[in-house]
Amino acid sequence: MIAAAPGVDATLALRARLADLYCAYDDVLNDGDLERWPSMFIEAGVYRVTPRENHERGLPIAVIYCESRAMLEDRVVALRETALYAPRIVRRITSGVCLRAIAEDGLHLTANFALLETMPNQPSGLFLCGRTQDRVVEDQGVLRFAERLCIYDSTIIPASLVYPI
Amino acid sequence: MPSAHTERRLESQPAPVRNGREWPGEGSSRVPNWVYTDPDIFARETERIFGANDWLYVCLEAEIPNTGDFQRSQLGTREVVAVRAPDGNINVLLNSCAHRGMQFCTANHGSAKEFTCPYHQWTYDLTGKLLGLPFRRGYRGQGGMPDDFRPEAHGLQSLAVTCRHGVVFASFGAPNQSLETYLGPGMLGWFDRVFDGRELVVLGYMRQRIPSNWKLMFENIKDPYHASLLHVFLVTFGLFRLDQQSSVEMDETGRHAVLVSRRGAQQTNEATSQMRSFKQDFALHDPRLLDPVREFPGDATVVMQTLWPNLIVQQQSNTLAMRQIVPLDAHNFDLAWTFFGYADDTPEMRQRRLRQANLMGPAGLVSLDDSEAMLLTQNGLDGNDERSGIVEMGGRGVDNTPHMVTETAIRGFYQHYRSVMEL
Repeated sequence: MIAAAPGVDATLALRARLADLYCAYDDVLNDGDLERWPSMFIEAGVYRVTPRENHERGLPIAVIYCESRAMLEDRVVALRETALYAPRIVRRITSGVCLRAIAEDGLHLTANFALLETMPNQPSGLFLCGRTQDRVVEDQGVLRFAERLCIYDSTIIPASLVYPI
Repeated sequence: MPSAHTERRLESQPAPVRNGREWPGEGSSRVPNWVYTDPDIFARETERIFGANDWLYVCLEAEIPNTGDFQRSQLGTREVVAVRAPDGNINVLLNSCAHRGMQFCTANHGSAKEFTCPYHQWTYDLTGKLLGLPFRRGYRGQGGMPDDFRPEAHGLQSLAVTCRHGVVFASFGAPNQSLETYLGPGMLGWFDRVFDGRELVVLGYMRQRIPSNWKLMFENIKDPYHASLLHVFLVTFGLFRLDQQSSVEMDETGRHAVLVSRRGAQQTNEATSQMRSFKQDFALHDPRLLDPVREFPGDATVVMQTLWPNLIVQQQSNTLAMRQIVPLDAHNFDLAWTFFGYADDTPEMRQRRLRQANLMGPAGLVSLDDSEAMLLTQNGLDGNDERSGIVEMGGRGVDNTPHMVTETAIRGFYQHYRSVMEL
């Protein structure tokens, strides 16, 4: 269930819908259903993955920077058709989803994430962890991400970040 | 009694290399697998390549613009702090207290008036000079340092430093060449093409730990042959392809190199028919991702420069980055990317650099191929020390070439490597 920050008045129904959104998001990626991933964003959705160091120092470079659903689709096609990488399973665990504010531009949420990576014939291990800062809006009757910023704690990514967070 | 190991080091003899390690008779057109796996070879590299008289990349001046600004950096297996002193000069100091060796600086970046080691509060100025230490004279006549203790003899280790057009280099030894001579006239020209004296702006960092030997990273950027086959994304959009007008150039030692290419169209020809990776009908949903604009004099659109022993200068269309190679051991290195632009960039150019960075780094639509290829290459090298890699594309020599169908720059690298390593 989604927690609401103090002073945020959200109905249980809204919080249940948000809980479903976060659950579905992890589900799509954990199942490797990359083609469905862009549909969880609005058309002008912005998706960024950046180390905490860049975020705290206000440095704009992001490891992944998509400014539209179409750019997310391009990344998916690239991962499917053009990129070389060793096979792997990446499992996302999201916790502590908190509705921080209900504003004119949408619902502002934060959450913690952990990514566990399993390479072929290797034990599973922690790959990345961090926090997301998200903005969710209602789009044609469905809740979708208008913005998702994933800030990972480490400065170092082990080898390659293939699949999105 | 000093150990045999200590004696060897004192006489400046090379670290021992195991018996039976002989370079194949074919010379630099073969690379024996053990150069990527042997810890003794790595120890010798640490000493002779990263710890000797070569100029190592440290950071950009734009990271430390003001007095007291500091930036941590890794040179080989050792850590340093680059700091700007009140006289405006940059000092590069070993991040290890002169007293007991503690790593005294734990922030990656910041500003300081002086450095104090948290362990016993030995304090140094921004040039590394020891300013003072608690209880030097003892307490109530008891203890303290000996009377002949000379603070001036116990500063932080300070490296030789040189800067060119905003880029900082340092050396653990006593370089007998200026940076300009070290690079040579050809490489200096390509270096100055990106670092033309304009003020630089740091756009941010990416860092990845790649489970492979550090030399595979250098080879990757000296190998235009792979780029046309592995990198479907580059090939398909004509960003870098061996049928385009291109060249491979080196300095006279072969240690530094540059791959130069010009952008071509997404069209089928005789060369693309040999590239299974070429996809004629692949179009972007959002073309803003690839919207390169020419910004340098001349017609080259991609210039990748490898500067011995720890730097790659990347100019891939409008993404500019320093890629610093930080070797950890024979089987692991960190690749530290510092993305930058120019202070006079338009907002559109700034945005273009951020977008095109999607091709680079640990999640890069192009670079991803490389980090994974290095990981899989190391997997295939490990355990097969008796085997060697073949480096014969474009012949067995180390000449500059007006084309990309060659591994000449890898041969040049190993020609120099073998002379430094005496292998």
